[in-house]
Amino acid sequence: MATVEERVKAVTAQVLKLSEEEINNEDNFTADLGAESVQSIELVAMFEEEFGIEMDEDAALAVETVGTAIEFITNVCKEQGVDLEG
Amino acid sequence: MRLILVDSPEQARGNFYPLALSRPLWELRCGFGSLAEKLIARVGTEDVAYFVPDYMAGAYREKVSGPVNDTSVLDGNDLLILDPRVKADGFDVASTGPSEVGVDEQGEVLYARIAGDDTGKPAKDDIEKFIAAARAALPNVKCSPARWQYIWDLILANPEQITADFAAAGRSGIEGTVEQPCTIRGSKADVYIAPGAQVHPMVVIDAEHGPVYIDEGARIQPFSRIEGPCYIGKESILVGANCREGNSIGHACRVGGEVEESIIHGYSNKYHDGFLGHAYVGEWVNLGALTTNSDLKNDYSTVSVILDGGGGIDTGSTKVGSLIGDHTKTSIGTLLNTGSYIGAMAIIMATGKPLPKYIPSFSWFVEGIVTKGFGKGKLYETAKTAMSRRKCEWTAAEQAMWEAVFEMTSPERKKAIKKGRRTLMK
Repeated sequence: MATVEERVKAVTAQVLKLSEEEINNEDNFTADLGAESVQSIELVAMFEEEFGIEMDEDAALAVETVGTAIEFITNVCKEQGVDLEG
Repeated sequence: MRLILVDSPEQARGNFYPLALSRPLWELRCGFGSLAEKLIARVGTEDVAYFVPDYMAGAYREKVSGPVNDTSVLDGNDLLILDPRVKADGFDVASTGPSEVGVDEQGEVLYARIAGDDTGKPAKDDIEKFIAAARAALPNVKCSPARWQYIWDLILANPEQITADFAAAGRSGIEGTVEQPCTIRGSKADVYIAPGAQVHPMVVIDAEHGPVYIDEGARIQPFSRIEGPCYIGKESILVGANCREGNSIGHACRVGGEVEESIIHGYSNKYHDGFLGHAYVGEWVNLGALTTNSDLKNDYSTVSVILDGGGGIDTGSTKVGSLIGDHTKTSIGTLLNTGSYIGAMAIIMATGKPLPKYIPSFSWFVEGIVTKGFGKGKLYETAKTAMSRRKCEWTAAEQAMWEAVFEMTSPERKKAIKKGRRTLMK
């Protein structure tokens, strides 16, 4: 099964119309990947669908980089009992 | 004699959403003012107490001087307990007299007149129990006064109510300032311009088919046309508006473009061009430039409205526009379908297409779907900013009320978000 990192990058690539290879963990969604505010909303929605989780909007939208998104989503999955291994 | 307004059961209140999400039914407007003003005038007392849903009690206490959800008001005095859906004009029960409970065909209590001596009988720790006990202990009278059933009833009754309220106010003439050239069509007896109101040059006031009342401090800017019956609230500004017949505009609104047979609560803005017709707009609403609603279907059939995210209700009228809850904002170019329900605290970003007919409260409508957007925290911040610009305070009690509304409206919002996600995943 794909890792959290791979899945986050796949969703980001799909929403922002990029290729996964272009996306690095240090990239800032806005400054480096060009996410507009509407796309941030879309990213949150798509991450929730991808991982089957519910994220607090304020906390989720405060996440700035791909690396922190991976960390944030991993934590939310743990909190909400979502299996990331299977 | 003490008048006690008791808000209707939740099921009946739902017929007045999204406006009644954040206010008791008697704070809805029709004609010059609120339903409460009309009921109080009809009953003829200044001693008024209120029972509202618990979640809005704190916020409502900040808005009125009378007691709210205080059962001590049930003691000792002659009481007239009234359901706010009863139309003031049709209520012909004497305020005082022997105790009796007015019950409709379905067995619902519409009023209870309880003489002071009898108030000791029912238990007083809960208003619902008090009314139920009064009904059991006191003589019941069958009654069927005219009642408001749905929120669009208020829209449809508004022109007639303005005319009645103008007659009841008994004022006419110009006490404010009118700069020339300005044209008044019809009888000047059907126009009242209150002290402090300003009518700038190049304004047409057309009272041929109904009265026009411009309240204190209102400002009518050049190239506005106001057609009666019409009420312009205190300190509101018309910005070159085509204000057609049947509008009630609340306190401190900014209104431009074309508006017809609509009710707008205080502090709302429709500054720019765009058509608003047969609409009911809450307070602190901002309609972006070119926001337009349809109020008539192409096939002239009756308009249905979705009030709870489920099935539509046939209004029986061919003309119903939008219902827009408090603090909702629309972007430029928003197109609202006939009979649209736009909840409170919603953010609408137009796509160029007409919106879905039902958008739940606290929704962020983005890219054609309902989303969670930036969440309710951001909406509260915006509300706070909008209110501070008009020197009004966003209080803790108000926020607590909105938190409750957020929870109450969560099921329909989640459903709409899910639907949006499915579209997104395609």
